[in-house]
Amino acid sequence: MHKPNSELEKALARRRFIQTAGAGTVVLALGGVYVLSDALTREARGQTREDGRPRLPPGQRVIQALRPMGGEPGDPSPSAYRLRIHGAVEAPFELTFAELLALPQAELALDVHCVTSWSVLGAKFKGVRVADLAARAKPKASARYVIFEAAHGYTSNISLRDALKPHVLVAHQLDGAPLPRAHGAPVRAVASDFYFWKSAKWLTGIRFSEHDEPGYWETRGYSNHADPWKEERYA
Amino acid sequence: MPDGASPEPARLMRKRKINFRPWLRALHRDVGYFAVGLTVVYATSGLAVNHLKDWDPNFHQVNRTHQLALPLPSDDEAAAKNALGALGVREEPREVYRASPTQLDVVFDQRTFHIDTTNGVVHEEGQAARPLLRAANWLHLNRGKRAWTYVADSYAVFLLFLALSGLFMIPGRKGLLGRGALVALLGAAVPILYVVLSGGP
Repeated sequence: MHKPNSELEKALARRRFIQTAGAGTVVLALGGVYVLSDALTREARGQTREDGRPRLPPGQRVIQALRPMGGEPGDPSPSAYRLRIHGAVEAPFELTFAELLALPQAELALDVHCVTSWSVLGAKFKGVRVADLAARAKPKASARYVIFEAAHGYTSNISLRDALKPHVLVAHQLDGAPLPRAHGAPVRAVASDFYFWKSAKWLTGIRFSEHDEPGYWETRGYSNHADPWKEERYA
Repeated sequence: MPDGASPEPARLMRKRKINFRPWLRALHRDVGYFAVGLTVVYATSGLAVNHLKDWDPNFHQVNRTHQLALPLPSDDEAAAKNALGALGVREEPREVYRASPTQLDVVFDQRTFHIDTTNGVVHEEGQAARPLLRAANWLHLNRGKRAWTYVADSYAVFLLFLALSGLFMIPGRKGLLGRGALVALLGAAVPILYVVLSGGP
């Protein structure tokens, strides 16, 4: 039997061992992440929401934390922050960040579904219900749609009926901490029953409208309605 | 000759036939050179944005937790100054904001320190731009609007010209009469097959 007796052979054997061990560790680690993540997906597929729909919409895979997904950030300054509630309403108004925090707060665990096919289950958002803001602004009888307005002209649109559901929020906290900048600090919309681009980050206004106004992504080939359970990803 | 005419003029006419290929090649070459910069911008950004679900192509995320010694000064400005000194931060903050009785936010252009004044835990979060990619993505997604729309439209026209002129640059069997046609059809089949096999929009 050949023995690695020279220093060079020993060094080469050691290098091969380190390379093999390193490669094995990477494969095992990545495999572990994949298996864990798939276990979450399998578990979610067995669950049903209160409204009877499956908890996980078709074509989605569960991951553990929200991904940033880009966008042009707005001003993160809480003291400069203003939220304008306006449009087809009887009583338009504006809120500072402090005034928003002083309103009745809702803390909800919501499932988030991104159009790129990842989902996060039970993300905890804290904020003010759009329905409460609407109650103060008094939408006109002719109002049918809500347009979320955000930094740099970004907009998204949902129907007024959907916007008034109790889980649609103007959120300033995520998972018990202030909303991170990558997720729209200081304030974002959360309309979690739609693909998540509808939940405008860096929210600056909520405009009630008599007419539908497709927003930034809706005018770039994405679905106007964006129902994850119908896989309405593209127009 | 029955009509008394010489055969020379007809031959000359044939010789004078314009050969468009040298012009086409020259135009293709120069438009190609001109399009290099824009192609690098659009292709790089395209690769980056295609994988948006795996990474943020515009920013690195900053997410750290620090621990401060207690007690902190009761005055917000003094508490912020104390905290930044302890964390070795020399930048001047944009603002110090009392978000709640227990939370003090110290805001910078690229990051925010959320200080829990009861236990001294500081959550630092923010984003640091990837300068070149962010600019490329900004251009690609036409977030700047205005004149860039005309640049992007012109680039699209240039690409159409490069594609179509490329079809006619080589005569004969390696051109559209042979191999060229086959390869062009294969290329065109890719999107067509994808739409047919995937079910389309």
